[in-house]
Amino acid sequence: MLSKFILALYLALGLSSCAASLAEDQHMTRALQLMSETPLIDGHNDLPWQLRKQFNNELNKVDLNTLETTHTNIPKIKEGRLGAQFWSAYVPCETQYKDAVRQTLEQIDVVHRMCQKYPETFMFATSSQDIMEAFRMNKTASLIGVEGGHSLDSSLGTLRTMYHLGVRYLTLTHSCNTPWADNWLVDTGSEPSQHNGLSPFGKQLIVEMNRLGMLIDLAHVTVKVMNQVLDMSKAPVIFSHSSAYSICPHKRNVPDDILKRVNETRGIVMVNFYNDYVTCSKTAKLSDVADHFDHIKKVAGVGIIGFGGDYDGVTRLPEGLEDVSKVPKVVAELLKRGWTDEEVKAALGKNLLRVLGEAEKVRDSLNGTNPDDVPIPYEEVKNTCRTSYGYPNAGPAHSLSTLALLLTLALQALIALTPS
Amino acid sequence: MEISEWNQIRIPLHLFCFSLHPLPPSVSHNDLALQLRIFHNNRLSQIDLQNVSKLATDITRLHAGHVQAQMFAVYVMCGAQEKDAVRLTLEQIDVVRRMCTEYQDFELVTSVQELTNSEMRRKIGCLISIEGGHSIDSSLAALRMYYQLGVRSMALTHTCNTPWAESSSKLYNVYQRQNNSLTHFGKAVVEEMNRLGMIVDLSHTSWDTALAVLKHSKAPVIFSHSSSYSICNHHRNVPDWMLHQLKKNHGLIMVNLHSNFISCRDEANISHVAEHFDHIKKVIGAESIGIGGDFEGAVRFPQGLEDVSKYPALIQELLHRNWTENELAYVLRGNFLRVFVEVERVIERHICTPCLGQRSELAIKTSSACIISLARGKYVILHIVFLLK
Repeated sequence: MLSKFILALYLALGLSSCAASLAEDQHMTRALQLMSETPLIDGHNDLPWQLRKQFNNELNKVDLNTLETTHTNIPKIKEGRLGAQFWSAYVPCETQYKDAVRQTLEQIDVVHRMCQKYPETFMFATSSQDIMEAFRMNKTASLIGVEGGHSLDSSLGTLRTMYHLGVRYLTLTHSCNTPWADNWLVDTGSEPSQHNGLSPFGKQLIVEMNRLGMLIDLAHVTVKVMNQVLDMSKAPVIFSHSSAYSICPHKRNVPDDILKRVNETRGIVMVNFYNDYVTCSKTAKLSDVADHFDHIKKVAGVGIIGFGGDYDGVTRLPEGLEDVSKVPKVVAELLKRGWTDEEVKAALGKNLLRVLGEAEKVRDSLNGTNPDDVPIPYEEVKNTCRTSYGYPNAGPAHSLSTLALLLTLALQALIALTPS
Repeated sequence: MEISEWNQIRIPLHLFCFSLHPLPPSVSHNDLALQLRIFHNNRLSQIDLQNVSKLATDITRLHAGHVQAQMFAVYVMCGAQEKDAVRLTLEQIDVVRRMCTEYQDFELVTSVQELTNSEMRRKIGCLISIEGGHSIDSSLAALRMYYQLGVRSMALTHTCNTPWAESSSKLYNVYQRQNNSLTHFGKAVVEEMNRLGMIVDLSHTSWDTALAVLKHSKAPVIFSHSSSYSICNHHRNVPDWMLHQLKKNHGLIMVNLHSNFISCRDEANISHVAEHFDHIKKVIGAESIGIGGDFEGAVRFPQGLEDVSKYPALIQELLHRNWTENELAYVLRGNFLRVFVEVERVIERHICTPCLGQRSELAIKTSSACIISLARGKYVILHIVFLLK
């Protein structure tokens, strides 16, 4: 009798385990099916930074088909069904007021060259249309986001030329204030606010980004900046790699009232997988990541959710999500939690496509508006690595610099009198 | 195609959509963008480029001079080297792009085909040229990104040495060295320019650097705004022996009209200018000559050639000196097009995937408070000199 009971128990356990695994297989199968219909568009990956750190951007010394020292390589991308990626053109805050611009150009360049070197895998993209075209060709659409306003060196001309180089979002700050915007560390109390959000030039930048059709990324900024941008931007905004503050109260995450505003303005919050932002501790599990998806959906609706893994930009990732090949497991988990196919597709890529499409419409509606040519006041940016050429009324030091410019021209003319 | 076949390249005259009377000039070097920076801090909204009396260039006078293309230099001062030269260069590129988009008379062009098309549409073609290698901050990536922004030529130096090439001027005492006028990295720059299809410009470089480039470049090069050293012995001008090397390279010397390079004095006239053309033609032939201009980049121009509307007067003088219309057609346009065509052909010969990324980051020894370096292999920030905050 007892032996029959034990046998029945084992059978029941075995069957339920098979059923569970069958269900999981079904969820994964369903996830992969949905990912074949709608591209997974991830908002932020720092592979270009790893290429710089590990290989000094010398692509001939690395094979992305076999690279094992990063979260991202080509086989993992394929396994992870990555349909589109915003590659981060990031340079450290230490370069601010030094050679940030040149280093950023180098990061933009390495993304272009990566796409040229592996054309069967990557297709460089700059629009919602490009993303869908790449998806149809079974390639990963490759876009660029510049991570940190310090990369612009407070120059609208630099913003415009980077747009021409294919950059399609700018994270307004990284972890340092710019001369025109406060970063998230101000909200932790570890740094003083310099601008109470955005300075007047910072607001000029928002208007110019709308005019160009460049997405405004609010990951890394203060709540004050978030609110100011949500007030004034004509186009929806993004958080390329931030999670839910209510689940993990880290100042890099997005509080509920902002989530609601993002919904009202039809923007997107792309969930970051970094353990410290997922559980506010050094460890996390896949289900903790899914909790963020559930929370954002509950508070603000499924229309604002996306994926922003932050792979190769962080060192601690959840168990089960160690590299980009594992992302379909998140999708399977959402299905398991009762997300519908349409909700999953919205999170995978449709929300981002909507946001990008609306930014493009705003750009088109502003066609004919002249570019902003008002420079930042010199006193807001002066430093030892910056010349003041062109500033006519910026005070004695700057008049001196313009005078130096004119004197140098005159001196060159004088030198021209003297044959060698 | 081998160098010996280059002399087969001729641009048929019927592709030129102009009448021969008066003859329009070809591409010439123009520093309007510099003036926009000095006088308006690039605020195009504050100026009407149709008529700008304080300058030598405006749209009205470009039309009057039958100018159909300009190489607008995106020059930044040498004082910005090791500081914000890259940002300033991007801003100069931006102002030229805006200018050539906002005014219907202009059209940005980045290829032979586009240049020819803009001529057919009676637009003034805008080519973008960098004037001084300090703009790339010793970065091949920056060079490539400038190319992507439309830059189609670069003068390797202005009046300052770079870490990898020498200037003809000693105005700035930087990167002085012996017997290394074009370094290993300098050669890599030339190779990358050849690969991209960016014209190498030797105006402002030292003679040693120019000679090294002429030996190394696989494409024809130009002196975008330099004149004859035999006529006026200024270090910015080109000696006859260099002209012979340029001839072998099938390159182009575009005569600078600035008085101090023409007559070696403050004053000059059209006849002085014509002597440069005559001399260079005698030494290496009319097929190696173009018009350099240099309006807005200098302060003294010959009597009768004060601004961009006066080009036809120069052509008339050359006609009087028995230049044929065929020769002048090539001086005005054909020779530059020939060089540009061949520079584009060299791109096709360079298509080789293994080249991509090579030498993308050759080590450059610089010392500056304004540079952060990352050592390969580990993340190390070297603060080379402390920054005063």
